[in-house]
Formats: sequence, structure tokens, C-alpha cells
Amino acid sequence: MKRLVLFFFFITNVSAAQTYLTESGNVNFLSKAPLNEFNGVSDKLNGLIDLSQNLLDFYVDLNTLDTGIGLRDKHMRDNYLETEKYPFAEFTGKLSPIPTLNSGTKSPVSAIGKFKIHGVERQIEVKGTLSKNARGELELVAGFDILLSDYKIPVPKLVFYELAEKQEVTIKATLKPKK
Amino acid sequence: MNRMLLLTVLGMLPFSLFAQLERSLVNANQPVELIFHAPRHINLLTVEPLSKKSMHFAIMHTFGPLDGGIENLFGLDNGANIQFSFEFALSNKLSVAASRSSRDKVYNVFGRYHIFQQTQNGKIPFSLSLAGGAGANSSNYDFLPEPAPTFTERMSYFGQVMLARKFSPKISFQLTPMMAYFTDSRAIYQIEGTENLYVALGFSGKLKVTDRSSLSLQYIPNLNTDLRNNFGIGWDVEAGGHVFQMYFVTSQALNEQYLLAGGNGTIGDEFRLGFNVNRIFATGQKRK
Repeated sequence: MKRLVLFFFFITNVSAAQTYLTESGNVNFLSKAPLNEFNGVSDKLNGLIDLSQNLLDFYVDLNTLDTGIGLRDKHMRDNYLETEKYPFAEFTGKLSPIPTLNSGTKSPVSAIGKFKIHGVERQIEVKGTLSKNARGELELVAGFDILLSDYKIPVPKLVFYELAEKQEVTIKATLKPKK
Repeated sequence: MNRMLLLTVLGMLPFSLFAQLERSLVNANQPVELIFHAPRHINLLTVEPLSKKSMHFAIMHTFGPLDGGIENLFGLDNGANIQFSFEFALSNKLSVAASRSSRDKVYNVFGRYHIFQQTQNGKIPFSLSLAGGAGANSSNYDFLPEPAPTFTERMSYFGQVMLARKFSPKISFQLTPMMAYFTDSRAIYQIEGTENLYVALGFSGKLKVTDRSSLSLQYIPNLNTDLRNNFGIGWDVEAGGHVFQMYFVTSQALNEQYLLAGGNGTIGDEFRLGFNVNRIFATGQKRK
């Protein structure tokens, strides 16, 4: 029995060593409409990569997205993302396949999972690169596109030329090993 | 044995605890935004703050009374009262503004300060803001047989408290206890009141009908005079950085002092058509 307890502690520790976390990843979205191009950023991306269990879990508080114009941010929160009802954009999935990470080299990775925004959840595939730096942290760069209509975010005709239906999302994060 | 079991469970706990991240808001007291579409709602100021360094420009018009009929194109021939108003946000809480209204050629300077904002988690149930300012009548009274009013006699002041709450995503309401003071309320001024001090209670209502347009209401009963009460009903349309406001209102006054002292027509026949264009400019903000 004692051995069993030790065993559980042991694998917990192993998994902890394989778990990487961040609370300050960078999210950027780019809207390229015919008459207006703008982007929004947040440095509050929370993320977890657990290599032993192959679990990816990311979310960002959409209230923190900043497009550089206060009123546009308000309209984005109130009329489009409806952040009071749906405050987060979330992705939970797994890497396929799990890459072998060597310090200093970027490995192309692909993740499959569920992305949820505006109360709508969809299966998506995200491509990017993952690398381990000299400090033993994981560096992730990834990107994917979001079609607003897929997530029931209507673009009114009045702003069709100013707000793109396709939003290009990129994320950059450095995840530290969990202690 | 039980202790062993407990230890086993504890040992396993991290698996379930760290399976997914717990979702938490960066700011738990996220403010309720866009209680109203713009810093103006028909004629009254609102609690709607401006972001730091952004500027709100409002062009407001009210025309003649509708009872002139088609002959006067429902008041549009009768000459409009026009107010240009510039408001600049020094911070997310404080803004300063200057306006000029053609009725009696009044220049107004005023400020708005937002004490607190309603929060989405309900910890603060309403937003509270203050506004106050002073105006000078710059009309030429040289034609009068008696001496023209002095600068002091041309001054008027206003102060108001604004309490607003978004009751639901569709319904917002603002209560505005307000007062205006004229150092001299002579008959030559285009006001109906004869008192120096005017006290009133403003009500503003917004009913969101579509995602970007609302029915708007304004009612300002006077508390210390026999003047008729101000009533307005309109339609707000949000279009990107613009908010258009079309309304029918009982007064041609556009600034706060004249709204209270100016007098009102009867609801219906003496409604006047009004039209505001609100534009918010973002200046000096970072582009990333």
C-alpha cells in the first residue's frame, strides 16, 4: 500500500515536470476588410501544455483585447463578442503527434481540439511551432483563422467594409515548467 | 488504513486539479459599458464615459415647431438652433468640454466626472457621474434703449448628478437631478423663466430595439417653476464611430441652462424635430 502511495506521488511529480504554464501569452487578431485593417491584442493568454498527458488548454479573457480605440473596444465587447455573457475564448485539445523537443530547435506541431468563443464550440486544427529554450521553457507560436459566422457573430452590412469576416489569430507564448 | 487511503487520494489529486485551467476574469469588476450609445441622449448628458484622450464632437440641431405644417416644412424653415460641442477626455474619468449654442449665442464650458461605473458582477448596481459648467450669452444687445447686460449679467451656470443603470441588455435608465442658475434672467433673453434658479429632475430612457438602434426618451419635469416640462422621444442609430440621434422634443434649447429655463411647447403640435450627430475621435492612442 505504501508503495502505491509513493507510486502516485511519483507519477504526479513526473507529470508536473512535463507541465508548462503561462499567464501572459500574447494573442493577436487581425481584421483585413476592404476599407479598414486593424488588429487587437491581449497579453493575458493563459495556457497549459501537459506533455505527459498530451493536454493543451488555453484561454483568454476577451475583455482584455485592445484594438487601440476605446469606443471600438466597447463595441467589440458589447455588440460582437458579447463578453458579459461569453467572457472567454478557449481552446482545449491535444497535440498530434507529440513532438520530440530538442533544446533550440523549432518543431512544427499541430493540435486538434475544441475552440469556443461567443458560446459556440467547434472542432479546429491549429498549426504552429514549439521549441524548448535554454531555460527549459516551451516557446509556442501558432495561428489559425476564425470565420465570424461560424461562431454566430454577425457582421452588419453597414460595417461590412470595415470588419472582416475572417479574423486571423496568432498566439505567442512562453510556458514555464510547473514547479 | 484510512490514512493510507487519504494519502492515496491526495496523491492523485493533482491529476484532476491540473487537468484544465480554471477560467478567471482579469478584472472581476468589469464595468457595464454602453449604458447609452453616446455621451448625449437627446439633449441630456449621460454617464457614458470617453476613453482617455478621445474626443467627442456633437452637432445638435432643433428646428421650429411642427404646427407650422407643410408650409414651413414642419418647422425646418423656422431656423434651427444649432449647438457644436467638443468634449475631450483628460482621463478615463474626467473630460472637459466647450460648446456653442446659437440661441442667444451662448458659449458654454463644462466638465464631466465619472465617480464610479456599474459593474457586470452587480457589486456596483449603477453608474454615478457629475457634470457642471458655466455659459456666457454673447448676443449683441446694443439695440436696446437701456444699457446692455454686463458680462456678469450674461452668465449662467448648471450642475447635475447622473445616476444610470443598465437594467438588461435592452433597457437603460438615467436619473438626472439638475439645476441651472442665471445671474440675470431678463426678458430679452430667449428664456421663458423669470427666476434665477431652476431645479429639475431629468429622466432618460433607452430601449434597444436592434443591435445598433434604440428608442430614446427624455422627460425633464421642473421642480420649482410653473414652466411646462420638457419631453422628447427619439431614435438612436449607432454606425461605427458615429451615433445619429433623431428626435421630437418640446424645446429648442440645447444646452443645460436653457433646457431648464427656456420653456417648452405642448407635446404633439409643438414638438420640434431635432437631430444630433455624435462622433467619437480617438486621438493619440497607441497603434499596435
